[in-house]
Amino acid sequence: MTDKKQATVLEKISSGIEGFDDITFGGLPLGATTLLMGGPGSGKTVLALQTLVSATTHHGTPGIFVAFEENARRVVANGETFGWNMRALEKKQLYFIDARVRSDIIKSGAFDLTGLLAALEVKAGEMGAKLIVFDAIDVLLGLLDDLAAECRELYRLHEWLLRQNLTGILTMKVEEGEPAISQRYRCMPFMADCTVLLTQRVADRVAVRAMRVLKYRGSPHVLNEVPFVIGPAGVELGSSHGVHPEPQPFDEKVSTGIERLDDMLCGGIYRGTNTLVTGSSGGGKSSLAGAFIEAACLRDERALFISFDENSRDIVRDLAMMSIDLAPHLASGLLRMEAVRTEAASSEEHFMRIKRLIEEQLPRCVVIDPLSALARVGGGLAARAVAERLIYLCRNKGITVLFTSLIEGFDPHLETTTVHVSTISDSWIQISYALLDGERNRALSIIKSRGSKHSNQLRELIFSDSGITLADPYTAGGEVLMGTLRMEKENAVHNGKANGQ
Amino acid sequence: MSGVLNEGDQAKGAYVFRLYLAGGAPNSVRAFANLYAICQKHFPESHRIEVIDVLKEPMRALAEAILVTPTAVKLSPLPEQQIIGDLSEEEEVLRALGLPQKE
Repeated sequence: MTDKKQATVLEKISSGIEGFDDITFGGLPLGATTLLMGGPGSGKTVLALQTLVSATTHHGTPGIFVAFEENARRVVANGETFGWNMRALEKKQLYFIDARVRSDIIKSGAFDLTGLLAALEVKAGEMGAKLIVFDAIDVLLGLLDDLAAECRELYRLHEWLLRQNLTGILTMKVEEGEPAISQRYRCMPFMADCTVLLTQRVADRVAVRAMRVLKYRGSPHVLNEVPFVIGPAGVELGSSHGVHPEPQPFDEKVSTGIERLDDMLCGGIYRGTNTLVTGSSGGGKSSLAGAFIEAACLRDERALFISFDENSRDIVRDLAMMSIDLAPHLASGLLRMEAVRTEAASSEEHFMRIKRLIEEQLPRCVVIDPLSALARVGGGLAARAVAERLIYLCRNKGITVLFTSLIEGFDPHLETTTVHVSTISDSWIQISYALLDGERNRALSIIKSRGSKHSNQLRELIFSDSGITLADPYTAGGEVLMGTLRMEKENAVHNGKANGQ
Repeated sequence: MSGVLNEGDQAKGAYVFRLYLAGGAPNSVRAFANLYAICQKHFPESHRIEVIDVLKEPMRALAEAILVTPTAVKLSPLPEQQIIGDLSEEEEVLRALGLPQKE
């Protein structure tokens, strides 16, 4: 074992949070110090505790949690609410120290951390601890009330961690908007090998959490700010590196549930791809989605139907009127329908919820109706990022997805103003209204179908109580005729032919 | 070392301190000297100082929630009071002890 080798190969300790390990390319630096900074309630403590609990649970790594601000018992109780077995862990491998500073303490002259560190050294040795969390180190530093002394004590702590060969996680409160640049923390960079800033903002009245790795000595990391949520099981991050996953080889086609649409698509849509259906309100997007999901169930494939702001029962009832019967598949569990209220959560929370649903249901086909609902919360950019990640998530799992997007008005280019996902969708079906001679008929066209031939025709979309279908293309003088105009033309041609005989 | 608070200490109005130190660290040495001097000056007849070296008894610091060294705890007369630092600022110490400060 040479020191040189150790220095070049940076070992890491998994945080137990998939997305966090992704953005840090493997987790926290082993045997070094990580600093988690953020405002009050930004999730620093949960992230630190979760890492500690994960290391103990999954790798049997003993650890110590030093609580400077919160009552240690409350930290334990908080961990319990995330379903972590704190009590059992505490018996064996986790040690919590209540190190709150008494409010009535009086200062007179110089002091330092020697006492606490001496005690921790014995405790860590006794337990064989490898990981130690100092939660709210700012509270302790605040006692010193002197920048030079703060830096001196941080240095002492740093040296101590190195000497003990401990992996340290320090959490520190910072005011929003004054991160590492602040005077107070200017001595932090040298001691922390990895620095993460956690923020909480309010966008459109919805709280949005995000984190950013400010630095990671000796390791690549994602530079962007990454949204996260604190869900029922703790911190969840849905990062996808910002790297587009390799598209899976297209080989198998699946039916859209509408025979003639399959024909237009030369056999259907490729498995594992995604199809965007755009249209204005009442255009029949959900009906297309229903046909697609029924076809999946009829093939005996597990399916998931996620609707925003519409009751599942209403959707089932409306579809039943077009002979699309989802009820038996719902009853058998083959199909799961979830109605989500848009305003109830940030787009990131929606993403996490959908991700969980996918992990529970293990569907082969998924409908998200409409995806554009995401744009209503947490801002357009965030919604677009979430939409993209949803698409990549499904693609990675080989799930075939149909998602709809609402277009206000009749201009198809308006799609670009909502969630802007048409560029990353594999296929794009547009439902529009064709206004001809005072009649409004639904028209369907395929704008793109990646990796496949498709019909360029504009076809009339017909909904009836026997199902959904497309009329035969009927063109006259270069125009697609629909509805009454078409009937008249057909009759005229028919009569003409009859007369001619 | 235990039982620093003798029966009747409070009744007699004796000043009893427990001083947590980190071995021979300079601020620890100063803290003891300063506390001793204050006791000699203000209550020469009735005081007692118990010294705990956290380097020798580290678990006591954990158990008694001592975060920094040096820390002096006034055990008697009540209420208990923690004073952190090397006790070089005599006025602060006197204020903590509830004693009249210099005119």
